[in-house]
Amino acid sequence: MSTKGYHSPTQRMDLRTGYLMIIPSLVALFIFVYIPLFMALEKSFTNWNFYGTSEPVGFRNFELVLQNQLFRKSIGNILWFVLMIIPAQMLLTFLFAHALKGMSTRLGPFAKTSVYVPTVISGIVASVIFLFIFNYQGGIINFLVRQLGMKRIAFFNDPWLARGIIAITSMWMGFGSLSLIMYAGLMNIPVSYYEAAEVDGANTLQKFLRITIPSMKNVFILVAINLTTGTLQMFDLPYLMTGGNPVNNTLTPMMYIYNNFKSADYSMGYTVAAALLMMLVIGTLSSFVFRLIRSEKSQDE
Amino acid sequence: MMKTKNRHSIAVGIFTVIALIVSAISLFPLVWMIISSFKEAKEVLKANPLRFFPTVWVTENYVKLFDDTTYPFLQAMWSTALVAVSAALLSVTINSMAGYAYARLNFRGKTLLWRLSIFTMYIPGITILVTSFVVVNRMGLLDTYWVLILPGLASAYSIFFFRQFFLNMPMATEEAALIDGASRFRIFWSIFIPNAKSPFVIMGTGAFLGYWNSFLWPAMTVTNTQYLQVMQVIRSYNNMYSNAYGVVLAGSALAALPPIIVFLIFQRHIVKGLMISGIK
Repeated sequence: MSTKGYHSPTQRMDLRTGYLMIIPSLVALFIFVYIPLFMALEKSFTNWNFYGTSEPVGFRNFELVLQNQLFRKSIGNILWFVLMIIPAQMLLTFLFAHALKGMSTRLGPFAKTSVYVPTVISGIVASVIFLFIFNYQGGIINFLVRQLGMKRIAFFNDPWLARGIIAITSMWMGFGSLSLIMYAGLMNIPVSYYEAAEVDGANTLQKFLRITIPSMKNVFILVAINLTTGTLQMFDLPYLMTGGNPVNNTLTPMMYIYNNFKSADYSMGYTVAAALLMMLVIGTLSSFVFRLIRSEKSQDE
Repeated sequence: MMKTKNRHSIAVGIFTVIALIVSAISLFPLVWMIISSFKEAKEVLKANPLRFFPTVWVTENYVKLFDDTTYPFLQAMWSTALVAVSAALLSVTINSMAGYAYARLNFRGKTLLWRLSIFTMYIPGITILVTSFVVVNRMGLLDTYWVLILPGLASAYSIFFFRQFFLNMPMATEEAALIDGASRFRIFWSIFIPNAKSPFVIMGTGAFLGYWNSFLWPAMTVTNTQYLQVMQVIRSYNNMYSNAYGVVLAGSALAALPPIIVFLIFQRHIVKGLMISGIK
């Protein structure tokens, strides 16, 4: 990157143009990401509020957050969501990707489009739909429940049923894109691997265990981490569907932070400390994804 | 030989049936919402799958929706469209320029600035939610279109995606144009943009969908009716019309329409982009 020794015109220095072209994005990232980040880092060590002065309080906020029953509850809840959603979603999308690969090529595009449509829907609309489907009074599920001769179920009054429905809604929304990523992974495995295994007399199960699973390893990791980082920040669905209820059993960390922001019960320094703790978890996971992508790329080149 | 061929077509048949069932399950909630939005108020919450279609097709839910004056629906749709379309256009503009500069130009500090941009991918929204509010508040942007549009424009992922694409474009035409004395902006405009339809469509629709569907940030930053985004008003309808749920369904159906249409128009590109992101 030195000014000396360039040979072709494409290697010359383009100082002015270069800066002009990157400045809009740099300024935007600086104002809307870096300033808020540094402000968060600074304010998390103070008792700052929107109005009034702030005094340094050391690590007090972090201690308080970690001791707070409601924050711990929200972390517990979100870990349940992760456990409910990630394994089930990965298994289902992986299986469905096989169906996409093996199905008739004429109907393939239709199936891909159909499962993908819900992924462009907002969490708010998805919540409205599933609130309707699981409605106590006249939802379609309660109709079926009554047809089976049982009493109507108040789905959103039971912690586990409420969590389950939120998990199902979230899975419905993510199913299409993850299935297609899995499908792309499957299509990317060279056919010659399977042919060679067939020559060696491998059966379907052996091919699946020895070729498909190992070849898909990186796709699995990518999907698992993306799903986890997304789920950890879940907000729209529980906010609209349950408001965190029953008794805070569907309260997520994102909702906890938002509620603290709205109310004046805690200092903003405290709220920001909670947000920074979440970054530790999520940031570690996403840096891992990025490293994975990079390492795969370097293998290609 | 005959036997394996038969077994193969049976397998294709089974897979096709499974895939079609899953497709139907996937589409059902959306279809159910749309169908139910045309039912009479008294029928909406009497779900009976044996009576899938409305006994009488009515538009009363839509009429009520358009008549709501507390949260004017069409106003919200318009305001959201304005925000989402301008944000998508601005977003691809600034991110593609940056991607081009990082891919093709040499300037001092490039590596450092690139790293600073890409690092923002590691910072989750949840972390800077509260302090971003403080920033836009101090800038005096609350209750404006700017507060809805500006904060999400620059995207590390988008810059990364564009750079990756531009790195793979051949050097020859660019060199020829440079020798002919064309400026970098001109080259970017007349050589790179026309040949980069895919990343522009993928990143543009991605930004559009993100803005159209966003709820939390608008809920924090705009309260004036003029700026309310469509997901905010749907959330309010959900609280207001619990006894006339058809209205909420009608609003949701209309609010879901633009993303679905955009997806159907650009689906070839979107799916391709998704596949690339999955493999690479």
